[in-house]
Amino acid sequence: MEEEEEEARALLPRGSDEAGRDSRATPAASGALQALCDPSRLAHRLVVLLLMCFLGFGSYFCYDNPAALQIQVKRDMQVNTTRFMLLYAWYSWPNVVLCFFGGFLIDRVFGIRWGTIIFSCFVCIGQVVFALGGIFNAFWLMELGRFVFGIGGESLAVAQNTYAVSWFKGKELNLVFGLQLSMARIGSTVNMNLMGWLYSKVEASLGSAGHTTLGVTLMIGGITCILSLVCALALAYLDQRAERILHKEQGKTGEVIKLTDVKHFSLPLWLIFIICVCYYVAIFPFIGLGKVFFTEKFGFSSQAASAINSVVYVISAPMSPVFGLLVDKTGKNIIWVLCAVVTTLASHIMLAFTLWNPWIAMCLLGLSYSLLACALWPMVAFVVPEHQLGTAYGFMQSIQNLGLAVISIIAGMILDTRGYLFLEVFFIACVSSVFKTIYSIVFIAALFIIARAWKQLRYGNDNPICKTKRDTE
Amino acid sequence: MSGYEKPSWGWGYCAPSPVLLLSLLTAAPLGLLGEETRQVSLKVISNWPDFSQNLLHIQAVGTNSTLHYVWSSLGPPAVLLVAANTPNSTLSVNWSLLLSSDPDGGLMVLPKESIQFSSALVFTRLFEFDSTNMSDAASRPPGKSYPPYSLANFSWNNITDSLDPATLSATFRGHPVHDPTGAFANGSLTFRVQAFSTSGRPAQPPRLLHSADTCQLEVALAGVSPRGNRSLFGLEVATLGPGPGCPSMQELHSIDDEYAPAVFQLDQLLWGSLPSGFMQWRPVAFSQKQGSRESAMPCQSSPLYPTLAYLLPQSPVVRAFFKTQNNFCAFNLTFGASTGPGYWDQHYLSWSMLLGVGTPPVDALSPLILGIMAVALGAPALMLLAGGLFLLLGHKRYSEYQSIN
Repeated sequence: MEEEEEEARALLPRGSDEAGRDSRATPAASGALQALCDPSRLAHRLVVLLLMCFLGFGSYFCYDNPAALQIQVKRDMQVNTTRFMLLYAWYSWPNVVLCFFGGFLIDRVFGIRWGTIIFSCFVCIGQVVFALGGIFNAFWLMELGRFVFGIGGESLAVAQNTYAVSWFKGKELNLVFGLQLSMARIGSTVNMNLMGWLYSKVEASLGSAGHTTLGVTLMIGGITCILSLVCALALAYLDQRAERILHKEQGKTGEVIKLTDVKHFSLPLWLIFIICVCYYVAIFPFIGLGKVFFTEKFGFSSQAASAINSVVYVISAPMSPVFGLLVDKTGKNIIWVLCAVVTTLASHIMLAFTLWNPWIAMCLLGLSYSLLACALWPMVAFVVPEHQLGTAYGFMQSIQNLGLAVISIIAGMILDTRGYLFLEVFFIACVSSVFKTIYSIVFIAALFIIARAWKQLRYGNDNPICKTKRDTE
Repeated sequence: MSGYEKPSWGWGYCAPSPVLLLSLLTAAPLGLLGEETRQVSLKVISNWPDFSQNLLHIQAVGTNSTLHYVWSSLGPPAVLLVAANTPNSTLSVNWSLLLSSDPDGGLMVLPKESIQFSSALVFTRLFEFDSTNMSDAASRPPGKSYPPYSLANFSWNNITDSLDPATLSATFRGHPVHDPTGAFANGSLTFRVQAFSTSGRPAQPPRLLHSADTCQLEVALAGVSPRGNRSLFGLEVATLGPGPGCPSMQELHSIDDEYAPAVFQLDQLLWGSLPSGFMQWRPVAFSQKQGSRESAMPCQSSPLYPTLAYLLPQSPVVRAFFKTQNNFCAFNLTFGASTGPGYWDQHYLSWSMLLGVGTPPVDALSPLILGIMAVALGAPALMLLAGGLFLLLGHKRYSEYQSIN
């Protein structure tokens, strides 16, 4: 306690020469240590930034475990593609409801620190149960594990953002969000490229493939979730310490969710919702099922297919900040959204109807995915008043998860009965329905303009200007 | 509707064999290219009174061509494929010659000058490999090889019982004559032959598109006890080359896997430049009777290699028709990989192929996909065009109104 009071005294705002005199008096090493331990100094906040980035790493790493081990899961657990995709559907189901309550839970019920720890625990427990399902050869246990994992996963992202807002302000915040997103993508990429190799190593050491091998591999992958839990605990400690030292308040999401606001949503906002759902359901289920597509159609090896599957995330990690800057500078979000949708459409058409090297199509997909994320989500803030923003974002994430849950299952069913070409055509139809929505709005707007012009043409005699002119003549 | 009655007369003192005749007449052929429909008849030709030896003769008659498929279980299972350019071609069988040590001339298609293409396929051996501890699925051989079963030493059923006139099919069911280990005690190797009078696509995977110029063979192994825990089976197929060389084997890659999910390849064996005989199959076998995606296992084919006649079990039917030709080429098919679905799941394995003459059938995109793509890509384009036009016209009218005022 005493040393903390000393630290507090050292850190209270004083004249800089006094602080300088103090620091000159102590050796340089303990000066650096002091900087690291001072919550108001940049070095300490960088440590906190590092912890925040790794907070989400485990969750994003384990989210795509099924995709990286698709062949192994289907073979060892003896399930078809429809049941395999349930592993993704069960992740999304709790988030249909939780997206509304995540902010509420963090602000009112648990507080940011306990909330983060609890959600990290859910992520850990979920992954462990998922792995146990493999060890005990019980697919229902794996589904339960993914459900528990889902409860923690998305809410952890909300907590991560709340920590960011609490520790970083202003211009730094965009950079921090960008870094967090990049770390998340890196987690996904590492998962895609690592898990297949890890499985083969476990198989070599255990001597045979089977559900036990799968369970052990998933358990090893769950170490990243333990890492996230450690980060959550460390962040909670540092946050509490900073509150004590700097007298700053616990972070709050600041979201106010009022479900009754939904009926006040404007037409452009509904259009944005439709674009969000139709677009993301053509990306995530495709990546979930992509590995076998690249192996079978293009003859890639398992390792190469994993690498290509991760390209979307690899590209998104560096390009998200770049595109964010681009969209910020030029404005005109809707044009960028349309560009992204057209590029995704072209990418899926290439994958479906040609035998060209899929690296091209997947790179395009990665670029368009990053562009859309940077252009679409900020649009909500333009069309919705601030007091409805929390509800709007919550609703958007909720229906996004609903769409993903339903389409994941449908994609699995299509694949089992009709094959990959039909699945790709289905995704093309989903993405093009974005166009249909936009063009329907444009069409209706055009009709409206024509109708108004026609009405004015027909009833032009009642134009008050003309009347006045005639009267004066 | 009239039936065709074509008894096959023996030469010498061979009594006329009882004939079981089934024919299906179709609508009058409207063929624009090739033969769209054929009149197909299935006949079982037996050596009366000994019904253990029989041949299945499938005759597909078109407007100006006839295809003969003679499936035999004398010796190793074999099929003789003959294409004649007249609709009045007949097959003559001389059983005494056929069953003698020199069967040359025992089987003839008359008139001889009408024969445009002829070749044969012989299924000579059934292999079994032990695939445990084999991680490389593409290695050849795929594991330690057990002694193969020679299909010449199999005894076959009387196919008269298995003839199905509705589907134009017949099934050969066989097991080894001497089975010391009892592997075939509860199982058998079956060859199901099906002929077609028009083009179509069966509902059973792998859903090969067939035409009137083809017939389908389904090879199935069921109930046979494997000699290892993870046994992979293989089949050796021998063909007669078109000339001194071997037929060419092609792998066709396509974008379309609608009819066989996750199978993007079609393998073909062509006897010469088109039109000639062909053999077509998908490199997939199934470990369950229903044949779904979960039970699909890869089927690898080795390249064709020329081989000598005396190294293979000989088929009397082939020797009878082709005399002393011995430019045989053989290749091996291996079903399954060391991991994934396999024969060990339900002790069942099936693989299908098409055999025909002319242009091999080619898969095309189904109307459903074309329709969805038209709506997905066409409708927005149309709407954009319409919307743009309306806006332009509306703007023009509005400007006109302004100028008048």
